Amino acid sequence: MSVLTLRLAGPLQAWGASARFIRRTTEAAPTKSGVIGMLAAAQGLQRGDDAGLAPLSALRFGVRIDQPGTRIRDFQTAHHAVTGKSMPLSERFYLADAVFVAALEGDHTLLTALHTALRAPVYPPYLGRRSCPPSLPVELGVHPDISLDQALRNEPWQASAWHQKRHRDQPTVTLVILREATSAERDGDEDVLRDQPLSFAAEHRRHTLRTVLSTIVNVPNPLARATRLPASGHTVPHHDPLGGLEEETA
Amino acid sequence: MYLTRFRVNTGRPGARRLLSSPQSLHAAAMSSFPGLLPTTTDGPRVLWRLDHNARAEVFLYIVSPERPDLTHLVEQAGWPAAALDPDTPGWQTRPYAPFLERLTKGGTWAFRLTANPVHHIRRKDGEPTKRTAHRTPVHQKAWLLDRQERSGFRVVEKSDENRLLPGGTTHQGHIHHGDRHELTVREPRSLAFFKSDEAGPQRHRVTVVTATFDGRLEVTDAEALRRTLTQGLGKAKAYGCGLMTLAPLPTTE
Repeated sequence: MSVLTLRLAGPLQAWGASARFIRRTTEAAPTKSGVIGMLAAAQGLQRGDDAGLAPLSALRFGVRIDQPGTRIRDFQTAHHAVTGKSMPLSERFYLADAVFVAALEGDHTLLTALHTALRAPVYPPYLGRRSCPPSLPVELGVHPDISLDQALRNEPWQASAWHQKRHRDQPTVTLVILREATSAERDGDEDVLRDQPLSFAAEHRRHTLRTVLSTIVNVPNPLARATRLPASGHTVPHHDPLGGLEEETA
Repeated sequence: MYLTRFRVNTGRPGARRLLSSPQSLHAAAMSSFPGLLPTTTDGPRVLWRLDHNARAEVFLYIVSPERPDLTHLVEQAGWPAAALDPDTPGWQTRPYAPFLERLTKGGTWAFRLTANPVHHIRRKDGEPTKRTAHRTPVHQKAWLLDRQERSGFRVVEKSDENRLLPGGTTHQGHIHHGDRHELTVREPRSLAFFKSDEAGPQRHRVTVVTATFDGRLEVTDAEALRRTLTQGLGKAKAYGCGLMTLAPLPTTE
């Protein structure tokens, strides 16, 4: 099995798994439907092409939270551009300044085709919502003969330089991995998320449940300080004038 | 001669009062000699110095001709309960004379000195000279190096591989003391306090700039160095300046 890894970084991201009507929420990490949708768009699949979507949604999906970002709320009071009528008031939630590594495990030829499609996409990629373009190219590479878990553990830390510098006291950082469990790992206690895409048809989008297994990994911090500077109080040189003097003999 | 060390309990209000006023500390140091009456003005010299090694590690060193009794300091700014145990007295006093006798020409020691480096300037013709502090580390080092000859020691020069500049001189050929000698200067302090005039109610503002030197020295004249160690170097000896102490060099580099 091969693994395709992606870097999802941008000023804003929005990954909704349960958003309905006027309250458009976001999960803390990218959803499988969001990432599969981005790949399908890069390949030029049409909305109703469920047969073309099936091999993509059969890929095993995992994500690593490299930089959690902050959740921000947008109270949207948009008006229609032509008629000037007010649109429904809505609350939209975004993740600001977040960086994720997403990985897809599956057939090597399919993943290579997806990697090529991401380099010259038919429809441009976006991070969960059309208003959230990625700030860097999303594709990192195809890794042959590796498991999903291994690929997410091997990838270097992708967080921004300022975020890595903020953690410069830590030579390694602990990151959370959220991935689909293999059939051997399933025991019925895993978390589930309704983001396994069945159809992206415009008139009726359908998703089913997906198991999510949470693990952690320690990755090195490239901007860690080599040695900690001594505290300022220790710069006073040692000086003991009584050390050279004998005790008085009584 | 005696060398005494007293650790100040910096958490106590009495310690704060003493540490904030060089006058109070001078009075406290001078009143620790039961055999010395305060009326004698030209008595033997008592020198003291404060070493601020860390926030809660402050030592008072006293060099004196007589054995001091620091009970009052322990009570005000020490650990009185711990001092009840004869094994842990509130202060340590060692006889200094045997150590001074052992000093010989050519011996090398680590030293520490807190001093008041000053020079005398005349700002315009006909004006009397005015005592003025050296404020920059370069001038303060030059002040000490000026006095090393007659004080009986020589500050050890760095070996060439430990220097950042070739020969310890700047690119313009000037001697750079910081790179030439085994000498550092730190803790520049400006002590400012009011001193009342004995003759009247007038109060004078006193400002003393101090600097702490650390370094290595070689004895060139043992007799002169003994005088320096017991009588002090420079001005403001009443306010914690001028006491130089020696310590053995660390055996491993």
